[in-house]
Amino acid sequence: MRLYRILAILTEEFYITKRSFEVMMDLFFFAFVTVITFGFTTLYFLRESNQAFAYHLFLGLLLWEIIRVAQYTLSVGVLWEVWSRNLTNIFISPMSAKEYIAAEMFSGALKSLVVFITISLIALMFFGFNVYQVGLINIVLFFINLILFSWFTGIIILGLIFRYGTRIQALAWGFVFLFQPLTAAFFPVKILPKVLQNIAYFFPPTYVFEAARASFSNPGIIEWNLIGSAFLENIAYLVFSLLFFNVMFKKSKETGQFVKNEG
Amino acid sequence: MDTILSVSNLTKRFGDFTAVDNISFELKEGEILGLLGPNGAGKTTTIHILLGITSATSGKISYFDMDFFKNRQESLQRINFASSFNTLQGKITVLENLLVFARLYDVKNPKKRIHELLEFFEMREFINKKYWDLSSGQRTRVNLVKALINSPEIILMDEPTAALDPDISDKLLNLIEDLRSSQKLSILYTSHDMAEVTRICDRVIFLDKGKIIAEDTPLGLTKRIPYAKLQLTFDADRKQVEKVLSENKFNYTFISNSVVQITAKENLIPTAIFKVSNADVWITDIEVYKPTLEDFFLQITRSEKKV
Repeated sequence: MRLYRILAILTEEFYITKRSFEVMMDLFFFAFVTVITFGFTTLYFLRESNQAFAYHLFLGLLLWEIIRVAQYTLSVGVLWEVWSRNLTNIFISPMSAKEYIAAEMFSGALKSLVVFITISLIALMFFGFNVYQVGLINIVLFFINLILFSWFTGIIILGLIFRYGTRIQALAWGFVFLFQPLTAAFFPVKILPKVLQNIAYFFPPTYVFEAARASFSNPGIIEWNLIGSAFLENIAYLVFSLLFFNVMFKKSKETGQFVKNEG
Repeated sequence: MDTILSVSNLTKRFGDFTAVDNISFELKEGEILGLLGPNGAGKTTTIHILLGITSATSGKISYFDMDFFKNRQESLQRINFASSFNTLQGKITVLENLLVFARLYDVKNPKKRIHELLEFFEMREFINKKYWDLSSGQRTRVNLVKALINSPEIILMDEPTAALDPDISDKLLNLIEDLRSSQKLSILYTSHDMAEVTRICDRVIFLDKGKIIAEDTPLGLTKRIPYAKLQLTFDADRKQVEKVLSENKFNYTFISNSVVQITAKENLIPTAIFKVSNADVWITDIEVYKPTLEDFFLQITRSEKKV
């Protein structure tokens, strides 16, 4: 692994983000509009019903954006190369698939951080909602775990794009939303039917959202059990996703799909 | 000349279909080697395997005496690729694109190198233009800058002139010839344009159905066709010419009532002229068409015989 090659991909990501209206829309505009909508929804619920319920909704939304942005960055990055017919140029350079993934993982985490800080400040300034009241350590732990999960989903989709091409490109935007209800992002897990509750705990963000709700209600508390469970599951998922990607990438070169991706 | 690329028994199968069938060849330092063949012959698949973006079913590739499959990064650091089918990132500028590749190849003084190359390709004024805003000729030149950015020792070119107008194609070919002589570049070149291949390639490998069916210099390949075409324009009765050609068992076709085309072995061309003029036919024009690489190509693809 060479740092300069990882930096080269990050530089390209930066240039594309800077010059692409679509990326700016997907990253910042949607995040901005969503936080505004959920902000007003929260204000409405605060007036009409239970406070904790309203705050949990907003908290879930802010944390969910970490997953969405990082996963989007990881999966859509390769699509920009495919759409520009630049994928071959990138991969006939000495850069390895590992370096490429590392760059996209870092880029996803960085963009997530920027978007999260931006929307959390909007939430604070416009709606008086302070996500940081859960404590900085909690925020860091939540962020790390949610990023790890978004890497898992992003790498899986990346592998599928290499293997099956742009036929499945819609997954780059849509796949992660499958986990929104399943991980109980906006409501407590107990709301889910029993079967889905059992399934929910197979996904690390479920623990994170539960821990976030608990620490929001009791500031300063760190739910180590939940965080630990999320982390262990995340590591397992991440290892699985990397192995999966490796198989898909190899298969893509074997079947000729890699070059077919560019039409 | 040293061998800098060696391919041994390379095979690629996609399921039951064999795209590349046990081919072996070498590329020498400073050589331009043409890879020719009809569509589906396996040229592009071979190039993709040589670049590591399609995996081989079996066989061995060595760049600079290193096993490519074991030394992918070291090998790719010293080679590059240009194709009319690939483009760079459209949304970003020429300079930004080239900076990314300069960093990928760890080029020292990247901006200086980029400016030098853009100057060479007369593209400096487009440095801050978005890639998508360039014409196809300008894009091809930027692609070539990218292909040269790491000062490669080998460039693999897959139909670099496809979709270019004749003027730009000619400039590109001049440039390839310049690069070969000035930088001792070795080039593996695929094209459907036989005149282009004849002009720049030192040697040609002819692929058909994944197999190498001929390997020679362009001239050597054309010499394998023993027939030439003689075109006579005459001022006489057509029947008179027809009679003399039939009597002497020449293979001929009348293009008009005063023009006949005779296909004959090269050494029989003077005899044909002599026989026709001896029959009191006033020949007003003589043209001899020697076989070209295109004739060789057509002969192979139409007859599908092993040469």
